[in-house]
Amino acid sequence: MSVYNRYIISLVLTSCVINTALAFFGQNDLTLYFTLNIIAFLAITLLYVYLNPRARRALNTIGVVFFAGFMVVVVLKITEILSGK
Amino acid sequence: MRSRPYKLFGIALCAAGAIFTPISYFVIASVPLAAVGLSAIIIGFTCIALANTRPYLSPEACQLMLRTGMENTAALIEELGLRNRAIYLPSKTRGGRPQALIPLAEDRQIQWVKENIPGRLIVRYGRDADDMAIAVTTPGSINIDMLETKPGPTADEIQAAATYILVGVLDIARSVNVNLADRQVGIEVNGARLGYEDIWYYRCLGSPIASILAAISSEALGKPIRIKEETFNKGKDHIVLEVLP
Repeated sequence: MSVYNRYIISLVLTSCVINTALAFFGQNDLTLYFTLNIIAFLAITLLYVYLNPRARRALNTIGVVFFAGFMVVVVLKITEILSGK
Repeated sequence: MRSRPYKLFGIALCAAGAIFTPISYFVIASVPLAAVGLSAIIIGFTCIALANTRPYLSPEACQLMLRTGMENTAALIEELGLRNRAIYLPSKTRGGRPQALIPLAEDRQIQWVKENIPGRLIVRYGRDADDMAIAVTTPGSINIDMLETKPGPTADEIQAAATYILVGVLDIARSVNVNLADRQVGIEVNGARLGYEDIWYYRCLGSPIASILAAISSEALGKPIRIKEETFNKGKDHIVLEVLP
């Protein structure tokens, strides 16, 4: 099995485990699902550090976009806490 | 094209996720199902990114070029009747490009020349008049350029560089383990897709995987290296490299 297939399978399995576990515990906040999926993506991409340079560049670009989404969620949560809503 | 399945899979996942997420969230009012849609979008984008990084050349074209180069070198070695094992030299002794030397004389104690070995086909590498060899470029010589930084002289650094080249860049093995002992480097390659064959070329220069590992080890240790032993069994390639003084 090629390293790319292993990477994709790791991502799919991790997402399945995260979504199933959160659903099992009755979690109903979509932002939590989103942030945990993004963290899993960033962690797994970091573990596959030996992918070829072009693949890493492309994944880093996507990672930046996803991280920006993650930061938006964090900022919204902080604003919510500070405004006391 | 190898990239096509990734692209199709990625587009399908993104499209499915983009349709499924709003329906699950607003119509069905199920957050877990909407999360599944979001995950599909994330994985879909990842697949599309990977599709764009796959090689432009088909594996068959790459194999054709590898075989052409190997058969030309093999013809030269066979015509000259060379049976000695090649010595892999670090780039510093060959003016920036690591190469392998196939000595013309039988194995013996080598007294290396102090200056750089000239960049020619037939070269003198030792102090003795009979210390002549043929300098050839091997798959390992080319792969050294793919390393972002030169590995250091430890087993961990050699293993990291070998894993990067064999698993990440070339995708021809599953994992690499390196043990560095006194003047010997023991390497085990798991899931190797280019095995050892008992042919003249491999007996001289080693298999392409052994050649790459010898070139990396030579560069890392800054010393000449010879492939001492290579065995291939059920996808496991066991290679022993000898570090020459």
